[in-house]
Amino acid sequence: MAVVSVSAVSKHFGAHVGVDDVSFDLESGETAVLFGANGAGKTTLIRMLASLSRPTDGEIAVGEEPLVGGNASVRSRIGVVTHDTMLYEELTARENLRLHARLHGVDTDVCDELLETVGLADRGAERVSGFSHGMSKRVSLARALVHDPDFLLFDEPYTGLDQASLKRIADVLEDLDDRTVLASTHDLARGFRLADRLLFLYDGRLVGDATADAFEDVDEVVDRYDELCRGSGVADDDRRSRAGVPR
Amino acid sequence: MNRRYARVVYEVARKDLLVESRSKQTLNAAFVFSALIIVVFSFVFGEAVGDREVLARGALWLAVVFGGAVGMSHAVALEGKNEAIDGLLLVPVDRSAIYLGKVVSATVLITAIGTLSLAFVVVFLDYTFGLEALSTIMLVIVLASIGFSAVGVLLSILMLHSQLQESLLPVLLVPLVVPIILAGTELTQPGLAPEMASAWFRILLAYDGLVLLAGWMTFEYVVED
Repeated sequence: MAVVSVSAVSKHFGAHVGVDDVSFDLESGETAVLFGANGAGKTTLIRMLASLSRPTDGEIAVGEEPLVGGNASVRSRIGVVTHDTMLYEELTARENLRLHARLHGVDTDVCDELLETVGLADRGAERVSGFSHGMSKRVSLARALVHDPDFLLFDEPYTGLDQASLKRIADVLEDLDDRTVLASTHDLARGFRLADRLLFLYDGRLVGDATADAFEDVDEVVDRYDELCRGSGVADDDRRSRAGVPR
Repeated sequence: MNRRYARVVYEVARKDLLVESRSKQTLNAAFVFSALIIVVFSFVFGEAVGDREVLARGALWLAVVFGGAVGMSHAVALEGKNEAIDGLLLVPVDRSAIYLGKVVSATVLITAIGTLSLAFVVVFLDYTFGLEALSTIMLVIVLASIGFSAVGVLLSILMLHSQLQESLLPVLLVPLVVPIILAGTELTQPGLAPEMASAWFRILLAYDGLVLLAGWMTFEYVVED
C-alpha cells in the first residue's frame, strides 16, 4: 500500500520551474533516494512533501490524507531532516527535543532514549550553540524521530559532517528499515547503499525511476543518470560535476 | 479551540520567553532604544515645550512603538536561525496556533518595554499621575501591546528572510499601528472625560480584534513558500 502518493506535482517560482509534473508512489517500508544534480529540484520536492512549501499544481497525499487542505494531523506521520537543524541555539539539546515532543503531544521520556541513539546522552544538558555542526545534525535527527513518524524525509543528511557524526547518522538511517524514507544526498555511495529505489531528477523533472537492485555499483548509477540526461544540451563533464561526481 | 491547540500556543510562547530569558537580546536592544528616545526628548524639548505632560505622553508612545519594533525584529529573528520556524510548522495542529503563541510572547515583551518606558518618562520628563490611574495606564499598555504584537509578528515573519528586515519593519509597521499611537496618547491623558475614554478603549479593542483575526486567518499563507 502506498504511504506517499505524489501526483503531477509542479512548483513554479515566478517564471522558473523548480519541479515539473513529478509523480511517484512510495510503498510502506521503502527507502527511495533522490538522485540529481544541483538545482534539479530535490530540496524543493522534499519541502513540498514536508508540507513546508505548497505545490503550484498537483497533489501529495500521505496515507489517504491530502497534504494541502487536509487535516493538519497528517503532519504527525512526517519527520524531516534538512540542511538546517531547526534547533534553538539558546536551548539545550534535551530542551529542544522536549519542546518538539510536547508540541507533537508525545511523552518527553523518549528524548533521553533518542539522545542515546544519536550518541549524545552525555551532552543533553548543553546548549546547542556550543555544538559542532555534526552534533547539531545528530540532535536534528533525534528531533525528526521524536514523534515516531512512519514517513521520513532527509535532505542531504550527510553534508558537512565529521567521520564520527557521519557514521552515527548512517547507522541510525540504516536502522530505519521499517519506515518509508525519501532521501537526497550527494554522498552517492552512502545513498546507493541506503536505497531500495532510485529516483532520478533533472531540471525539475523525474527522468528515471529504478530499483537499486538493477545496479551493480554506484558508477553504474552515475552512468545511468548520464544516459537519462543526455540530449539535455549539458556537456558530459558538467553533468557529472553537477551530480557531485569527480571528473 | 481544543486542548492540543491551546498546548501549542502555550509551548510556543513559553519557548520564546525561555530563549529571551537566556539571550536577553530583545529586551536589551529595545530597552536601550526606548531609554535613548526618552532621554533625547528630555534634553531637546525639556525646557522648550511648555506642557511637559503632552511631551511625556508623546515620548512614551514613540518609545513603545520604536522600541517595540526593534524588539519585534530581534524576537522573530531567532526563528530564522537554523530555520527553527520550519520545526514549528511541522507540528500537526493548525498553524495559527504558532501565530497566537508568538503573539502572546511578543505581548509580554512589548508590555515590559512599555512599563519600563513609563518609568523612564516619570523619571526624565516628570510625567505624573495619580496611583488610581496606574491600573488604567497599564491596561492601555497591555491592550496596545496586543495589537502591536498581532501586526508585528505577522510582518516580521513575512520579512524573516529579507536582508532589509531591521530597516523595513518599522517602515511598514508604524503606519499600521497609528490607531494604537492615537488611542495610547489619548488614553494616557490625565483627566480624560469618561465618554472619550470609553470611545478610545472601544477603538483600541476593535483594532486588537481585527488585527488578531487577520493574522490568525492569514498566517498559514504567510509562512508557506
